[in-house]
Amino acid sequence: MKRSKRFEVLGKRPINQDSFMKEWPEKGFTAMASPYDPKPSLVVENGFIVELDGKSRSEFDFIDSFIADYAININQASESMKLDNLAIARMLVDINVTRKSIIKIFSGLSPSKIIKILDELNVVEMMMAMQKIRARKTPANQAHITNLRDNPVQIAADAAEGALRGFREEETTVGIARYAPFNAIALLIGSQIGKPGVLTQCAVEEATELELGMRGFTTYAETISVYGTESVFIDGDDTPYSKAFLASAYASRGLKTRFTSGTGSEVLMGNAENKSMLYLETRCLMVTKGAGVQGIQNGAVSCIGITSSVPSGIRAVLAENLIAALLDLEVASSNDQTFTHSDIRRTARTMMQFLPGTDFIFSGYSGTPNYDNMFAGSNFDAEDFDDYNVLQRDLMVDGGLRPVKEEEVINVRYKAAKVMQAVFKELGLSKITDEEVEAAAYAHGSKDMPARNELEDFEAIEDLMNRGLTGIDIVKALVKTNYEDVADSILNMLKQRISGDYLQTSAILDDKFNVNSAVNNANDYQGPGTGYRVQGERWEEIKNIPNIINPDDI
Amino acid sequence: MIYKGGEGMDIDEKLIQEITRLVVKQLKQNKQSIRLNNTAMMEGYVETVIAAKGRDPKEVVIGVGPCFGKFVRNTITGISHKEVLKQLLAGIEEEGMKPRIVRVLKTSDLAFIGKEAAMLSGSGISIGIQSKGTTLIHQKDLYPLTNLELFPQAPLITLEMYRAIGKNAAKYAKGVAVIPIPVQSDFMSRPKYQVKAAIMHIKETENVIKNGNSIEIEREDL
Repeated sequence: MKRSKRFEVLGKRPINQDSFMKEWPEKGFTAMASPYDPKPSLVVENGFIVELDGKSRSEFDFIDSFIADYAININQASESMKLDNLAIARMLVDINVTRKSIIKIFSGLSPSKIIKILDELNVVEMMMAMQKIRARKTPANQAHITNLRDNPVQIAADAAEGALRGFREEETTVGIARYAPFNAIALLIGSQIGKPGVLTQCAVEEATELELGMRGFTTYAETISVYGTESVFIDGDDTPYSKAFLASAYASRGLKTRFTSGTGSEVLMGNAENKSMLYLETRCLMVTKGAGVQGIQNGAVSCIGITSSVPSGIRAVLAENLIAALLDLEVASSNDQTFTHSDIRRTARTMMQFLPGTDFIFSGYSGTPNYDNMFAGSNFDAEDFDDYNVLQRDLMVDGGLRPVKEEEVINVRYKAAKVMQAVFKELGLSKITDEEVEAAAYAHGSKDMPARNELEDFEAIEDLMNRGLTGIDIVKALVKTNYEDVADSILNMLKQRISGDYLQTSAILDDKFNVNSAVNNANDYQGPGTGYRVQGERWEEIKNIPNIINPDDI
Repeated sequence: MIYKGGEGMDIDEKLIQEITRLVVKQLKQNKQSIRLNNTAMMEGYVETVIAAKGRDPKEVVIGVGPCFGKFVRNTITGISHKEVLKQLLAGIEEEGMKPRIVRVLKTSDLAFIGKEAAMLSGSGISIGIQSKGTTLIHQKDLYPLTNLELFPQAPLITLEMYRAIGKNAAKYAKGVAVIPIPVQSDFMSRPKYQVKAAIMHIKETENVIKNGNSIEIEREDL
């Protein structure tokens, strides 16, 4: 065939490098509805759920049992299950129906009933519902802070810049597993230098992550994954009960925790049991609820390539965020992974959470260029900062970030690197050179950083773990090296463990370490004139991007 | 043994050749004694017996996924499993260590493939590899979901890297200080390959045998 010039041009567009799939329910490739999804049902007898979504108790797998025993309010179930799907769907977008009454209804629904209700909504309706249902009134944002070389000096500098730009949580991970303690410490120190009160975590293997948390090198945990089929759970040597146990371990030390799940994970792990992605995800969310965990990171997360490959996939991602909110969980709504070559498509995907606002719109936004993003790339990265600030300004939406001045950024980056140098020296860890400090202050990414001696780093890490160093040792080292302001911030972060207020749903801290959560800043949206409004100082901040024409200059 | 120029040892060269041929043939037949699903492995390799824990501290075990070199013969980017194994083996041998290959059947999860192989390894060091090519270096005392080195993005792993992975695994087994292979990342891997990865992994998972023993894989030319 002679090729059309137009089709040749279209063929070269970035979107045509993406992967798309037809629906294939037998292998789980359906977004929101599979012909194999069960019919909703819920029967209570003698105070126990004896039937759930068409299965009797004897047929329950361990996820069904966990949900039936811990995640559903049986006093509410008969009333909720009786309601018509469409009637509930309409309540979600009705400004006259309060968040509180909707949360009550959803506490008594079966997983299958929930997805049938959600399937009645289009994305605009889901966004309207999200605006009303998210737990915390003020939206926020989370960053990824990583780099290809696990360079701790760069992590500290990027963490400081990220905090200055407005992120209230920062997450790191490793390229090489052994670097975890350094990455966690660098993130903890750097974040407090950019803006006090930022929560930090290090996403690694669960036992290591728990140990880092207990030592006080991190201030929250997120990488506790749950799955929607029993076989995938078992593949990871886990059960809902073991995850609940892990969550209690964190709670026992006063550490904020959220679980992670997302559509597409069971397909990617080869065991979707022919159910729709949203049905399986709803089971995950109910396991989270049942485990007593305050929140979830969800929205396909690292499996977004699967969910986005099928029709209505991006709608399903918004639906799963919304279901989490409907279950009264904090929602860190993903947007944290590349899934497309197309700038149009990636922006459209993010608008679903950006416009209504969620507890954390991204989980997270790459605070480095994507080549340094060790979560294999985020949907937005450091090179999109100015675009993002303009989107906030154009639409008068609070996406959690703020415009910053170049000089301020260089200053906090320099200080973070300098403090790292001093703390490492004081604690007898591996050497950080002046050259590295200077490079970190001005760097865009790891390509701008000098190489480190990895073997010396590994030795120092082993040594610091063997010596039993904790967050308090970092505070002491900061005092000894005359960085008392940073010492004070980190000590304040550690104190949160004792007061425990930041264990409440959707908690973040402000720069004075005051908790801002669904308890003291509950979402009260009920239509125009209510809920969170961009105004006052915050609007001035968003308006003031650096790149503005001054009429006097013309 | 043949003593060249030895006195009084009049050995028929042809007879020796014949004996050798028969012995090799028998060895090969022995090696073929276990054939799962009657599907042969790629040329040059046979599955033999249930794998036991090795005792040789020089041993590095390569644990391959349920489909590797059998129902699936190429990685996600089309590199043949035969070439991949050749490089891993060469890397280990170059460092003077002894490679051994096992097929892990009880799981398709890379972390657990690696952990199982490490438990079987005389040195406690293993390389785990899935059919799509995703690879890690594991050690028997580590938690399953951690590792010594992880190469999570299969599309970025070249044959040179597989050789380097073999070398590094051997160095861990020797107990010398090892500089990890520089981490690689392509943030467009997911949009390009995740669907294909899922389909390959579904196939790998379909061939898992619940609680199945791991199987020794031997090279026919040895």
